[in-house]
Order: sequence, then C-alpha cells, then structure tokens
Amino acid sequence: MQTSWLRHKGWTYGFRTTVLLYFVVLIVLPITGVYVYAFSEGWTPFWESISDPIAWKAVLLTLKLALIATVINVLIGTMIAWVLVRYRFVGRTILNSLVDLPFALPTAVGGLMILLLLGPNSWIGGLAERLGFDIVFHQPAIVIAMVFVTFPFVIRAIQPLLEEMDGSAEEASYTLGASRSTTFFKVILPQITPGIAGGAMLAFSRALAEFGAVVLVAGNIPAKTLTASVFIYGEVESDNNLGAAAVSVLLLTLSLLILWIINRVQRRGRRE
Amino acid sequence: MKDKDQRKRSASTIQRSKRLLSLGMVLSLMASLFAGCSSSADQAEASGGTAPQGDVTLVIGAYSVVKDSVQDIIPLFQKKWKEETGQTVTFQESYEASGTQARAIVGGFEADVALLSLEGDIDKLTKAELVNKDWKDKPDGGMITTSVAVIGTRERNPLGIRSFADLAKPGVKVLYPNPKTSGGAQWDINAIYGAGLKESEREEGKKDPAFAKAFLESVHANIESLDKSGRASMAAFEYGVGDALVTYENELVARIKKGAKYEVVVPDDTILIENPAAVVDRNVDKHGTREVAEAFLDFLWSQQAQEVFAENGFRPTNPEVYAKFEKDYPVPSGLFDIEYLGGWGEVRDTLYSKRGIWYQVLAGI
Repeated sequence: MQTSWLRHKGWTYGFRTTVLLYFVVLIVLPITGVYVYAFSEGWTPFWESISDPIAWKAVLLTLKLALIATVINVLIGTMIAWVLVRYRFVGRTILNSLVDLPFALPTAVGGLMILLLLGPNSWIGGLAERLGFDIVFHQPAIVIAMVFVTFPFVIRAIQPLLEEMDGSAEEASYTLGASRSTTFFKVILPQITPGIAGGAMLAFSRALAEFGAVVLVAGNIPAKTLTASVFIYGEVESDNNLGAAAVSVLLLTLSLLILWIINRVQRRGRRE
Repeated sequence: MKDKDQRKRSASTIQRSKRLLSLGMVLSLMASLFAGCSSSADQAEASGGTAPQGDVTLVIGAYSVVKDSVQDIIPLFQKKWKEETGQTVTFQESYEASGTQARAIVGGFEADVALLSLEGDIDKLTKAELVNKDWKDKPDGGMITTSVAVIGTRERNPLGIRSFADLAKPGVKVLYPNPKTSGGAQWDINAIYGAGLKESEREEGKKDPAFAKAFLESVHANIESLDKSGRASMAAFEYGVGDALVTYENELVARIKKGAKYEVVVPDDTILIENPAAVVDRNVDKHGTREVAEAFLDFLWSQQAQEVFAENGFRPTNPEVYAKFEKDYPVPSGLFDIEYLGGWGEVRDTLYSKRGIWYQVLAGI
C-alpha cells in the first residue's frame, strides 16, 4: 500500500543523510579546507604569516574594535528590546520590523551611508572635524560600521526571553518593596542574561568578520585602521593565499571558540 | 628546495584556478545567456542581408578604467569590419580591476582580447601559456595607451602642491590605493618611489634606494586612507576626505570632464604609465577568432581609436594623434618610465616582494 511505502524506514535515513551531506558540503568542507590549506606547508610558514606584525596587529585591532562594538550593542540592544516588548506606542510594529534591516542590506551600502552621513562634507562630520576628532577613515567609523551590521543580534536574542517572562516574580518583587532598579538587576536581568550573552557573542563573531562596510569607511592603514578581514582580502589580491589562510584560521578558531561558549552558556541558561 | 617551491606554486595555482574556475563558469554562463539574446537579433539582420561567412563573437576582458573608451571604439570597429568583410562582430565585454581580470582569464574566462593596466598582469597570462611571448612585438611594445601618475587636489590647489615631495609636508592628508589590493596602484607607488630616486640623483649624484625608501616613507606618513582600488580612492576624495590623491592622469581627467572641480597637478618627476593589450592566443585558436581578434587589437592603434583614448583622458601612443592633443598632455621635465626603476621584474622583486620595500614602509620597519 502507498502509506506503508511512505512510512518506509529508508526515508528517515535518506532525509538524515541529505541534511548531513548538506551540512558537510556547505559548512564543514570549506572550513576544513581553510585549515588544511593554512597548514599545507607545515607549521613554519603558518607561524611566519601569523607573526607578521601587520597581520597580528590587524587581528588585535579587529578584536578590540569588535569588543567595543559588542559592548555598545549589548547596552543599546537591551534597551531597545526592553522598549519594544514592554511599551505600547504608535509605530512599534514598524520599528520592530526595522530592526532586521541591517541584515537585508548589503553591508557595502551600510558603509556608503556612513560615508555620506558622517563624512567631512556632512554636518556631523564637519562638526566633529571642528571639535578636533575624525570619524570617517578612523577607528570610530569602523566601530559604527560593526555596530550597524550586528545591530539585530542582541535585540533578537533578548526579545523572546522578555516576552515569555513570568510576570509574577516581578510583581512579587515590587510587592515586597523592592525598588525598580533592584527589581531589574535582581529579578529581570538574571533571566535575560543568557540571551544577552548569546546575542553578544554572535554579534562579536560577526563583527570580527565584517568586510563590506569596513573596507569603505576605514583608512585600511596597518596598525591603525586595517582590520583582519581587509588584510585577508589584500593577501588574496596579491596572490599570497597562504598568508590569507593563516589569518583566516586565527579568526575561525576564535569564532569557533566563541560559538562553543555560547552553546555552553545557553544550555546552562536553559537548565536553570 | 626548488622542488618544494614548485609544489608550492602548483598547489596555490590549483587552489586559485579552482576558485576562479567557478567564477569563470558563472561568467561564461552569463556570457552565453547574453550571446543567446543577441544572436537571434543578429540572425534576423543577417538573413535579410549580404550573406556573410558566419557572424563572429569577440570576448573582451578589460580593466575597468578603460571601459568608456572601449565602448566608444567598438562601434567604430564593427562598422569597419562589416565594410571590409561583410561580417557582423558581436562583442561580449567584461570589466574588472586589472589583477582580478587577469586572474579570471587564467582561471578560465575565455577572453579573446585582454586590455590590462600593467604589463605584470599580461605576464600572468603568458605564464599560464595563454598569451604567446611575442605579444610585445606589436607597435609600442604592445602598449595601447599611456598616462602619467599625477596628484589631484581640491579646487584651486589651496595647499599649493606641486610635487610628490609636497605631499610629505605636515598636515597634508594624502590618499592612494594599496598596491597589495590593486595592482594598478603599483604605478602610483612606483611614481613616488621613482621621484625619490630622481631626488637622490640630484643630491647625491646617483640613484639611492635608501633615500627613495625614506622619501616614500615621508609621503606615507601623511596617508589618510589606503584604499582598496583607484576607484575607491577617487570615491573617498569625492566624499571630501583628504587634500590630495595620487592617481592616473586619465582617471582624474575623466572625472573633471564629468564636472568635478579638481586640479590636476603633473609633478616634474613622475612615471610614464603604459597600458598593454594582447590577443589571448589560446582562446582565439579555440574559438577560431584569431583574424578578427588581431584586427581589433591592431585597430586600437589606429588614428580613430587613439583619438577616442585621447578624448577619454589617455595619452595616445600614436604620434600624430598625440601631436593633435599635445597641449592637453604636456610632457613633464623629469618623466621616467619603468626601466628607470629597473623594469617590472626588478620592481616586483625589490618593491612588492613579500618583505620588500613596500611591506617595510607599511609595517614601519
């Protein structure tokens, strides 16, 4: 009969195999490829590529700026998620849909907008210049680009936690005479911490790899404004694939570590 | 050691060609789609007409800056070829940064004619045995256009910049692309480095690489943005960043023709930029398009084509055409060419090698 044919065990296996194959071909293979290639000539050339001052300074700078961008996103993102969940106001749903837009926009366009809005010819850029600091083509622009690109992560990670939160604990806290700030820090914050941590780490690893927006707004000067992704691009363009792969491995390993930590944190959050 | 070297090279070419193969596949897919659209129109035209011995398609792989000129030249050539042979030539054009284009062709993009911004990129094609080594036997050593490296400044040159040395003055914000990401930018750095060599010759009586390196460093100390490509530098300059940018004369002239208000400063000591073109021998033999490809390449040196180049800001290599445009393109007194720096091989080994002078300047060593 047809139904028994449909229920055949082979389907499950087939389905699983397809999913696994998909995963292997799309994710595991390319990433393993980078690792294999980076070490294809042994440890010494790899170490040489990594210990190049331009390379490691680019990685350090990227780590530093991505960290700053992440902190900004955690603060602003938590506030935005809070407002979107707790308050009812006109335009809330539109605002809520707008949050994801940075994902839909080619990041180069984001970079272009930063150039237009904060460049020396704009009034913000002009004002900053008169006050004696530069935005575009200096580190602030890179941070702004990273914040823009990773904007949705923290918000989207916290929102469901806030929405599902049981109001009774909060009410109990107020009834027992706790102030608003005490309630926030002692009752609400612990409940959304896994979301904040998860969102922050996703944002951080995404910021590490950001290229399209950064290459436009950064001056790309080694040790000052050259980020790791732009450095890698330069190595590929000048036919030094090994150097590109070595720095990629460094970034990939960092990102892998971060993603693994997110997983741990989130699992612990769920258990509690 | 040699063996290892060989292996390294072949490993990296395989890697590269794999990557480019996919790019090439996408490109050729697009090209064939495009061809599919246009050929039906051609057939309609052909069936009513002069019974040609089959129409022909020519694939052009060029660097992006030359786009406007090539698109002006193509109709002229099509007309001429039709008159001479009765054949209709359809063109498929691809424009990319010169290095990217060269790598695409090596990776399988089947261009019949390549127009690139520097000899080094044609060398990539000869190394891959796509272009025969005799490509320089054409007129002017295979170079279709020339230009010079210049400095672009804001309207009326408020900082009074006259030479590359002026770029090293305190407070001048300078833009140029990074030769690591843009092969064409090597001309800009060669110009500054060469101007340093010239200066050392005047002061010490001989070419002094250490002096030239220090000269390049002093200019580099004022760098505001090290852009991805010449185009990106120009864009940054247009957004108001920087006081001066180092670029090709033709880039700047083309911008000014479109209404931008910049000044072109041609320094006394600067480099002659030479842009080559070549028939990609292996591809034309495969496509059976050698005759028309050679004709197109030769046409690029014709008076008609050279005038188009001149109007688009290039310095024509054809002396008659140059004479006509002479007042637009004065020859700077200290003009030098790549041979002054020892030729491309020497430049690649000393300036742009892995730990070469450019790397040292970047890393501040």
